[in-house]
Amino acid sequence: MSEIKSWTTHRDAKQQKLENAASLLDGKFAKTKDAKELLELLISSNDKVVLEGDNQKQASFLSKVLASVDPEKVHGLHMIMSSLSRPEHLDIFDLGIANKMDFSFAGPQSTRVSQMVADGTMQVGDIHTYLELYARLFVDLIPNVVLVAADKVDREGNLYTGNNTEETPVIVESAAFKDGIVIVQANEIVDKVPRVDIPSDWVDVVIPADEPYQLEPLFTRDPQNITELQILMGMMAIRGIYEKHNVQSVNHGVGFNTAAIELLLPTYGEQLGLKGKIVPNWEVNPTPTLIPAIESGWIKSIHSFGGEVGMEKYIAARPDIFFVGKDGSMRSNRAYGQMAGQYALDMFVGSTLQIDKYGNSSTVTNGRLSGFGGAPNMGSNPTGRRHSTPAWQSLRPDNDPLGKGQKLVVQMVETFGSNKKPVFVDHLDAEEVRKEAKLKNVPIMIYSEDTTHIVTEEGIAYLYKTDSMAERQAAIEAIAGVTPVGLRSDAKTLADLRARGIVALPEDLGVSRGQAKRSLLAAQTMDDLVEWSNGLYNPPAKFRSWS
Amino acid sequence: MLSNVTPSLRKKVTDLTDIELTDTDQGYTDSVQIQLSILILQIDQIDKMKADGWAPNLVAGHSLGVFAAAYAANVITAVDAIKVVALRAKEMQNAYPTGYGMGVIVGLLRKEVTGIVNENFDKRNPVYVSNQNSQLQVTVSGSIIGIKKILEQAKKRGAQKAKLLRVPVPSHSPLMRDVAKKLTTILGKIQLQDPTCIYLADYNGHATKSVERVTYDLGNNLVHPVYWDVMMDVAKEYLIDSSVEFSPGHVMTGLLKTKIPDMKTISMADMVLEDAEFLLNKWKNQEKR
Repeated sequence: MSEIKSWTTHRDAKQQKLENAASLLDGKFAKTKDAKELLELLISSNDKVVLEGDNQKQASFLSKVLASVDPEKVHGLHMIMSSLSRPEHLDIFDLGIANKMDFSFAGPQSTRVSQMVADGTMQVGDIHTYLELYARLFVDLIPNVVLVAADKVDREGNLYTGNNTEETPVIVESAAFKDGIVIVQANEIVDKVPRVDIPSDWVDVVIPADEPYQLEPLFTRDPQNITELQILMGMMAIRGIYEKHNVQSVNHGVGFNTAAIELLLPTYGEQLGLKGKIVPNWEVNPTPTLIPAIESGWIKSIHSFGGEVGMEKYIAARPDIFFVGKDGSMRSNRAYGQMAGQYALDMFVGSTLQIDKYGNSSTVTNGRLSGFGGAPNMGSNPTGRRHSTPAWQSLRPDNDPLGKGQKLVVQMVETFGSNKKPVFVDHLDAEEVRKEAKLKNVPIMIYSEDTTHIVTEEGIAYLYKTDSMAERQAAIEAIAGVTPVGLRSDAKTLADLRARGIVALPEDLGVSRGQAKRSLLAAQTMDDLVEWSNGLYNPPAKFRSWS
Repeated sequence: MLSNVTPSLRKKVTDLTDIELTDTDQGYTDSVQIQLSILILQIDQIDKMKADGWAPNLVAGHSLGVFAAAYAANVITAVDAIKVVALRAKEMQNAYPTGYGMGVIVGLLRKEVTGIVNENFDKRNPVYVSNQNSQLQVTVSGSIIGIKKILEQAKKRGAQKAKLLRVPVPSHSPLMRDVAKKLTTILGKIQLQDPTCIYLADYNGHATKSVERVTYDLGNNLVHPVYWDVMMDVAKEYLIDSSVEFSPGHVMTGLLKTKIPDMKTISMADMVLEDAEFLLNKWKNQEKR
């Protein structure tokens, strides 16, 4: 007989590591000052490690500690992170503590990432959307150790992650049930947590942090900065898309275009008599520019990927709208949010830096490897969808007996960017970046085939109505203004496209350019938003110009 | 320019190089005088801040500024910096007595300028795309005849500004290879140290803490573009929130402020040391709170 095979090698290895660290632990609890030594004992070289960090919440204490471990003891880690946001996330590669990275988004560190990939300091496994990265945690990127952040932890080790629960549950689950080690940094140790977001049973080690985890108010847009051009585009979108397609559920990307729409619903939308008829249900972060629409009864529900700094009290006072625990604080969930955004929504509305002549869009620019966030999930047509809604059905081609509906994926861009360079281009910078960074695919944010509408200050192109690539290109050219792509359009083609409803100009939609004034916004300043919220919204310091 | 500089530093230049710094308008028509005077002005300001206990987290120098940056990061001594810059200035002066220089183009992206330069390349009047000062500010270096042609084309393609710079050498282009070789030789004889903070290299825009990379930058930045725009992107990614620009100019502060409006900036050309240190102390205390 051969030796009896052990089926508990992972469990045994985990047990051994925790025993090695036993002298530094009191139950699950460690001291702040022992954090470095603990990580050196609990993380082995070449481990797969998830370090929590999305575009808002960062396990910033644990990331600093990880960058301080002795590279002789811990090296060659394979990091899995949804967002590379902090300098030390890259320092661990400079120091040799890690050498491989699977990630989604690197916007705040995109220059260094690009440089590190070029000089071989960082090996990129792949660049993912959030949902893909979470999915792989349960398949082929199962972590050995996860490093996450909690607001409060009770004496048993139960975690409260509150408004910014975000991706903590999905990360912890991937390790806790596969003999990975779950290490938590805590802002505060308390006798009783407001509610249990993660049960103590899933947690191995809790370390009190020297300061609260980093939190970015990413989705806050000051209405002061919304331009009249954006207001015009917002009006066109409301008439020509929201109303036309009877859109009931939506995700808005981060940007001033969509902030304008949010602030136009209670004014312009009201004038059109659309209240109660469009967009009651939202999958979106609790952005302050939604407050006027919520207060005037436009919105019935909002589920969120993450929290938003300053919105806590307002959310707590509006449990009919938000997903709020018994304790009064919101429960966000990034994985469920992405799932809802992909499968349950009628429409995604976003913006981008470049759109090519075919309608592919990308936010990648030369010299920067910024990756993706959630836009490719939300900005794509899920072919696995089977349920129908009026908006989805309205895009069904009428010449195919087996045809089905389609999600509305809308790109809103001004024809020229803030650097005065054309947004509409023959070739995306992303094509160049693919070569430089040796990527398998061109990093396209949203593909032409998924893009159903493009809105510019010139008009709307209804791409889903086109039946050839040539016609699609003509529709894009018709609304691309005086960019090189736009200059290829001519009056005859435009007239034909308008006649067939493939392109609509403001006048075709009954939108008057003269009405597009800032006074049409329900709130024009941060102060107005605070007022709409009855003083419940508390803007972060950097948005307070009056104090 | 040198009235506030510690006299012994000025004397050191004469002792080491036999060059008397005149600190006069007449003197400043000579680029050896300019380069050495700027160097010791910067060294003097750095010394005074260091003496008061200030140390940088990150340094960056544009072209000649790499020496002050390396000095601030404790890579090179004042004596060695003076010796190397004296050689650099003389060699640059001798390299192209006439007909070569630099131009600046504002309003076009680097790839647009590169397109123009490639389309118009002429072996007899070579021009190269050189420094990237900001996203829409690119310089070209080479033959003056060639540069004039490029500037004209740039205006036609929508540049807001395209003009010759008052620089008598085609700096930051392959035309400077001989000067770089001589600098590399002299640097090879000098004892240099690892930087004590992050150093941003001109030649590739990367951050480094290695003495080899800094040495390469000191010796060879003249043959490479200065990737200033990328360097400032990298500084931002290191979460740098305040900056000090050493004299004589404040151009870099302007570029930085445009790129990162939240940056707290000081330019020593516009401020006395006491005021600069007052501000730094204030910002430091704000951070603690």
